[in-house]
Amino acid sequence: MAQLQVKIQRTETNTKTYDVTHSPDMTVLDVLEEIYHHHDETIAYRFSCRTGLCATCMMMINGKPSLSCMTIAEPNDEGYLFVSPLPKGKTIKDLVKVPAN
Amino acid sequence: METINTDVLIIGSGAAGLAATVYAAQSGQNVLVIDKGAVGKSGSTTGAVQIASLGDWSDPRDNEDAYRNDIEESGRGLSDPKLTQTLAHDISERLQDLISWGLKLDVDEQKEVALSATSGHSLPRSISARKGKTGLGILQTLIRLVKKSRNVKTWSDVITLELVKSSGRISGAIVYDLRNNLPYFIESTAVILATGGIGQLYPVTSNPVQSTSDGFALGLGVGANLVDMEQVQFYPVSMVAPRSIAGFCISFYHYSKLYNSLGERFMKNYEPENMEDTTRDKLAIAIANEVVAGRGTPNGGVYLDGTEAITQIKKEFPHEYELCLDRGIDLAKHRAEVGPAAHFMMGGIQIDEHAASSVPGLFVAGETAGGLHGGNRLGNNALSECVVFGARAGMGAAEMSLKGMNSDHTDLEEWKDKWSPLFSTTKGKIRPYQLKQRIQEILGEHVGVIRSDKGLQQAKVQLKDVQAQLAEVNIKKDFMSREILDYIEVRHMIQTAQAIVGAAYMRKESRGAHYNTDYPSLAAETQKTNVQFSNGEFTFHTFAPKGGVS
Repeated sequence: MAQLQVKIQRTETNTKTYDVTHSPDMTVLDVLEEIYHHHDETIAYRFSCRTGLCATCMMMINGKPSLSCMTIAEPNDEGYLFVSPLPKGKTIKDLVKVPAN
Repeated sequence: METINTDVLIIGSGAAGLAATVYAAQSGQNVLVIDKGAVGKSGSTTGAVQIASLGDWSDPRDNEDAYRNDIEESGRGLSDPKLTQTLAHDISERLQDLISWGLKLDVDEQKEVALSATSGHSLPRSISARKGKTGLGILQTLIRLVKKSRNVKTWSDVITLELVKSSGRISGAIVYDLRNNLPYFIESTAVILATGGIGQLYPVTSNPVQSTSDGFALGLGVGANLVDMEQVQFYPVSMVAPRSIAGFCISFYHYSKLYNSLGERFMKNYEPENMEDTTRDKLAIAIANEVVAGRGTPNGGVYLDGTEAITQIKKEFPHEYELCLDRGIDLAKHRAEVGPAAHFMMGGIQIDEHAASSVPGLFVAGETAGGLHGGNRLGNNALSECVVFGARAGMGAAEMSLKGMNSDHTDLEEWKDKWSPLFSTTKGKIRPYQLKQRIQEILGEHVGVIRSDKGLQQAKVQLKDVQAQLAEVNIKKDFMSREILDYIEVRHMIQTAQAIVGAAYMRKESRGAHYNTDYPSLAAETQKTNVQFSNGEFTFHTFAPKGGVS
């Protein structure tokens, strides 16, 4: 298994780096689960259906708004996967936004 | 602890919870709907493809009796006739309401409502909205109304710890707000449980991550009757690989062919007449048997070949085709590895035709309720159940609160001791998610499609071990903490898992989704199983379907 460097923007001033065991079939959501299970129990992100329908796992992935369950985890041009919260609306913690309702 | 007052509290915001919300709100009573995730986006409803229906578009031969007969036939003697009658009677009116509120049904080339056939339904009666994203369409329709209702409040990211009873009736719920890490007492005249199912008790499931069986545990906690909890539907044809979509349901198995590793179309040995176009219980048992006999695929499934029907598949189930394509499986060219995944709890909290449980003030709707589907739920009856019984629960709860049946002052002393790990420092070494995984392993191994008395006994002992390990957890305290959520969920999971195992052990036969190799056939007499929990102990018994405890 290869390693993937993952940077998560946790606040506007704090971006944390994780080196995650990675296989090519992993989605960004799989990577976040790996981080929660084995690297950092405080990381917060939403998800529900895992099949691209509920849209609760929407976040910025390598600079683009994407569903983490539908996006294969790949490094950006700088060699790491960069994940940050959606810019619009209030962020509760890490990647979790206040729901649009 | 702060107290929040409402007339009707609704726990869960899928199709059942939101239908309950809308109909309860029509009474003018104050309604509060809470969800442990994002309201309106965190349940199984989002994945629902179609809904069984009666309406102007129905086949001329279709009617309430035909629909009802299909459900009862499929229920293997365990469906409650009062509930099947209610579903068949109300569905047309509920769909008319949804249409009048803006739900647009999918149409065919002739601009008529598109009607399709589903295994086990004697006539085509499945309809869809939003191009096969019917659950989403219904949720959006209901959410629009919720937003307009001034007497409805919604609250996301708040999970229920326990229901509270006072003088024998429900007086509210103790909840935990994950955003600020604080408990609240929500005082209400009536509570509606609509928390969905149990899929996360198993290692492979079609269900969302939130399906951790909370409602069943909450009902057990206040002494509700739960029926037929051994009846867990395994969706027979779910993706086995790749892991990112493991558990994803394939709806077009009736247009496809299934092969074992020997290249044999094995359904000819089980259901020579209907082949793959059979009910989910029979198909799941056949596939599990093939795998156990060593005729499975490398990842423990069987092969699904949809190439001959690919045009129809692409047209009717575009989301399924495209998601598989995205993960490297082009069903137009390749076979997929499929197998059973935990999909639906047919048992649950016993309700009457008004969606009222045995506990005064407690209403239950959707998957958390038991008794409608009996031993096998037919396809597309989950959404119809949600809208019919959600509406009935909402109306019943509102009527009760209008009568002002308030309970006396509620005594809230004991609950905090029971949940002390949330409020004190924990020093253990086990993380809550590890206990969840352990429960999944146990149920996957012993309480899956194929069961035995020995396996069930092992599961019972192993679950006791997991329960003991709850004292050794470490919970990292933080706001929006997944650790806290996992801890609360694993507490609900262990309760429900024990109820399932105990009920399964009571059923000394194979009926519906419950298949025990020690008793491979139907017993002469039909019995339902019942679970209750009081004074820290489970009690299990069986009873004849039309009253009378055996």
